[in-house]
Amino acid sequence: MNAVVATLFAADEPIDPSRSTHWLFPVRAELLFGSIASILVFAVLFKFGWPLFQKALTDRTERIQSAMDESETKLAEAQTEAAEIRSAAGDIDAERQRLFTEADAEAESILRDGRVRLDEEIAELRAAAESDIALIGSRASGEIRSEISMLSRRAVDRALTGQALDDATQQELIESFISKVGAS
Amino acid sequence: MSDARVQGYAKALFEVARAEGTLDEVEDELFRFARSYESSDELRTALSDEGIPAAKRQAIIEDLLGGKATPTTTQLVSMVVGSGRARELPAIIDKLVARASSSKNLAVAEVRSAVPLTDDQQARLKAALANATGSEVNLKIVVDPSVIGGLVATVGDTVIDGSVRTRVDQLKSRL
Repeated sequence: MNAVVATLFAADEPIDPSRSTHWLFPVRAELLFGSIASILVFAVLFKFGWPLFQKALTDRTERIQSAMDESETKLAEAQTEAAEIRSAAGDIDAERQRLFTEADAEAESILRDGRVRLDEEIAELRAAAESDIALIGSRASGEIRSEISMLSRRAVDRALTGQALDDATQQELIESFISKVGAS
Repeated sequence: MSDARVQGYAKALFEVARAEGTLDEVEDELFRFARSYESSDELRTALSDEGIPAAKRQAIIEDLLGGKATPTTTQLVSMVVGSGRARELPAIIDKLVARASSSKNLAVAEVRSAVPLTDDQQARLKAALANATGSEVNLKIVVDPSVIGGLVATVGDTVIDGSVRTRVDQLKSRL
């Protein structure tokens, strides 16, 4: 704004050759020397500074790359380790599952064997009990039968001893015998 | 005693009785005496005891049969006992009875009864047994109280048992 104002108001002032009339560019000599100086500076900077800069950039790139490589390596290692851990965890789970399965199978087997043995023992005990009951029953029945038989025989003997059949009965028996033999 | 000797005695007794003309009577008396001998332990002991002199054993026979049986019967039994064959007396007499029956084409039918049978009953029983066996029989009645009641007839190997004793035994066996 000040420059524009200054330009507007300076139109009427005399021109100074040591001073540029352009609001932006300097006078030619200044521009020339300034450009050369700048080129020299840039050349020096390119000659000596660029390699340093490039080296620093390369080093930094290498460091970054190295860091990235290291990171990748560590990442890979971490992933490997994680895989191993997961594998180990998986193995542990599998082992645990296997152990559980084996334990379940063994428990089931023991339970099954136990039930079988229990059933067998129950069957044996039941058979023995039934045998004992049958034996006792048979013995008791035999004793009772023997006792009844003995008492019956005694009763028969007692009923017949000293008691001859009467004559009518004797004759009836004889006649019956003769009739049956004669009819045969 | 051998069977031949028993047969020999039986034949001798048979011939004597037949010669005397009292075969039927002697045979019957001997049969009854044999059954009495079998049923009496005392009689068997007395007649078969070798320690008792033969004369004394024959005297027992005289006491038992004298006046109750024919002289022939008494003498035949006395002869057998005097010969020391009292133990074989039942066998000898059975052979004699069998021989006598055979000579008349009769089968010996031994009938045991608890009570004596009347003549009519004997006749009807004889006819019944003849009908049952198919041959005429020489009926021999043995009074045996152990029969209790009814009759047991034995003709050869055939036994017809209608005795109370057998029924009682069967009942006791079932009991």
